[in-house]
Amino acid sequence: MEEEKIIRMENVHKSYFLANGEEIPVLRGLNVEIAEGEFVAIMGQSGGGKTTLLNVIGCLHPLSEGKYYFAGEDIGEVRDDFTLAFIRNKKIGFVFQQFNLLSRLSALQNVCLPAIYAGVEKSQREAKARQILESIGLGDRISHKPTELSGGQQQRVAIARALINDPEIVLADEPTGALDSSSGKEIMQIFLGLKDKGKTVLMVTHTPEVARYADRIIYIRDGQVVDHDYKLRQSDEF
Amino acid sequence: MSFDTIKMALGALLSNKIRTLLSMLGIIIGVCTVIVVFAIGQGAQKDVADQYKNLSVNSIMIMGNMQRGAGSSSKISADDVEVILEKCQYIGEATAVAQSNGTISYVQESSTVSITGSDNSFFGISNLEAQYGRILTDEDNLQSSSVVVLGSTVAETLFGEASDAALGETVTIDSKKLEVVGILTENGSSGSTMNYDESIFVPYNYAKKKLFSEKSNVMLMALANDVDYVDAAIEEVTAVLRTEHGLKSSAADDFKIMDAGSMVGAAQSSASTLTMLLTLVATVVLLVSGIGIMNVMFVTVAERTKEIGIAKAIGGTQSEILGQFLSESVILSMIGGLLGVGTGQAAISMIENMNLISVTPTVMGVAIGFGFSVFVGVFFGFYPALKASKLDPVDALRSE
Repeated sequence: MEEEKIIRMENVHKSYFLANGEEIPVLRGLNVEIAEGEFVAIMGQSGGGKTTLLNVIGCLHPLSEGKYYFAGEDIGEVRDDFTLAFIRNKKIGFVFQQFNLLSRLSALQNVCLPAIYAGVEKSQREAKARQILESIGLGDRISHKPTELSGGQQQRVAIARALINDPEIVLADEPTGALDSSSGKEIMQIFLGLKDKGKTVLMVTHTPEVARYADRIIYIRDGQVVDHDYKLRQSDEF
Repeated sequence: MSFDTIKMALGALLSNKIRTLLSMLGIIIGVCTVIVVFAIGQGAQKDVADQYKNLSVNSIMIMGNMQRGAGSSSKISADDVEVILEKCQYIGEATAVAQSNGTISYVQESSTVSITGSDNSFFGISNLEAQYGRILTDEDNLQSSSVVVLGSTVAETLFGEASDAALGETVTIDSKKLEVVGILTENGSSGSTMNYDESIFVPYNYAKKKLFSEKSNVMLMALANDVDYVDAAIEEVTAVLRTEHGLKSSAADDFKIMDAGSMVGAAQSSASTLTMLLTLVATVVLLVSGIGIMNVMFVTVAERTKEIGIAKAIGGTQSEILGQFLSESVILSMIGGLLGVGTGQAAISMIENMNLISVTPTVMGVAIGFGFSVFVGVFFGFYPALKASKLDPVDALRSE
């Protein structure tokens, strides 16, 4: 049933062009389906196209060819900045490996940013941001600057920022890549909590221990999905 | 542009205070320069107006040619006055004025002053009035009386203050004794070629016969009947004087005629040339500071590429990012402009206190200075802001 798929990609191609005009194909006819409420990990070797796929899904990159349905809507052809910004703002929450918080803003202000772009009133967005920060255990850190927080805390602020506009899907690129393993576990617990609340989580990762938290692992090689439900083995090391 | 955008822009500016201040400095200096320049220009115009306020626009001055080695330096004399008054229909009044410098003293005080030998009509033509006593009369002139009328500054120098106590006192001018009969109302013109406050006035005939040397400088002052007749009057006077002086048609004039209108005009145009030149300088300063702002904004964009990537990833549109960077440069230049207005006013009062040149603050200078600073902010901030808004989000995120 198409309605249940939040992401559906058919035969998606994505190429980069070098300055000399040379074409570098990254995604080569890739098919992906992600159901609503699913927690999916994307794995694969470096240079295989994991991050590119995430960027295409997150509307940061236009795709070169193929079909892209987001919650049943064909958005593969959309190039209009206003619409793409709207999708990134309201439908998608991004979490990066390097947190990407603005260092001059406090945790609360960082979380509020997407709500500012969404035009939410100050009192409303701050109440919401506070509530989210409290729910992930940062209630006493709201006025701290990112430099005054640990890596794990920063990543939690980044997750709160991804959640402020109530997106339908959270896209996370190596969310634990810069964290120690116990902080990484905390982040995964938060993702599991999101899944319980019905949010879709799509996460790129190298680490089998992290990928184990996901319902399903999509394995990518050379710009194509080689396994839609990859089973980790004891010997897996990435 | 929302309040949030402005607040974010302010936050970004405050996060790098020294750079913000440095790039603002250009604007501050630029706006300050514009304001001071306008004040100096206005002051110069006012000087011109002050300088010539005793000149009616229809007045004409006739001077002898002062060519060296041309024998008798000038044939202009009081006799010419009668001829002009008799033969020129466009001339209403005319008077001869002899001028020289000398020392006037009273008891212990003495002062070097400009001495004018004149008759009664001179005072009318020059719009001068007596505050105490009287001006010179035709009788003083006919009898070559030893009387003198003092300019107000001279009276103050000699008598401590300009008052009727000075009337009837005897002053010494170049060892001649004269009686003070009047003190002129303060004229107020400053630093001009004709400063009546620092002059004294004796009867023309007395000056010619007893006070001045043979070859003292004589000029005639005449009033045309109407401003429109000034040119006609000049032609008429030229013709009459040439006949009177017996000049052949091939010979050059042995006198020179100037009219107040063109003198004032020339002075005003040189004052406005000054203003224009200074304005040009100020424009260059603002332009350079604008390029400075542009450079700073480019650096800012480059430095915050990652931030722009983040803004795009979390849903900032191109126009929102453009708006944020543009408001940064506009706020920068507006605050710079305000500070420039403040420094400009401070600089003006400093120049006023130093008393070197006259300055008159103008609203126009403030308006143009501030307006220009905002324009500079928009103009030079736009391109870097546009560049920021067009960055590819993934490339921007990847930058360090």
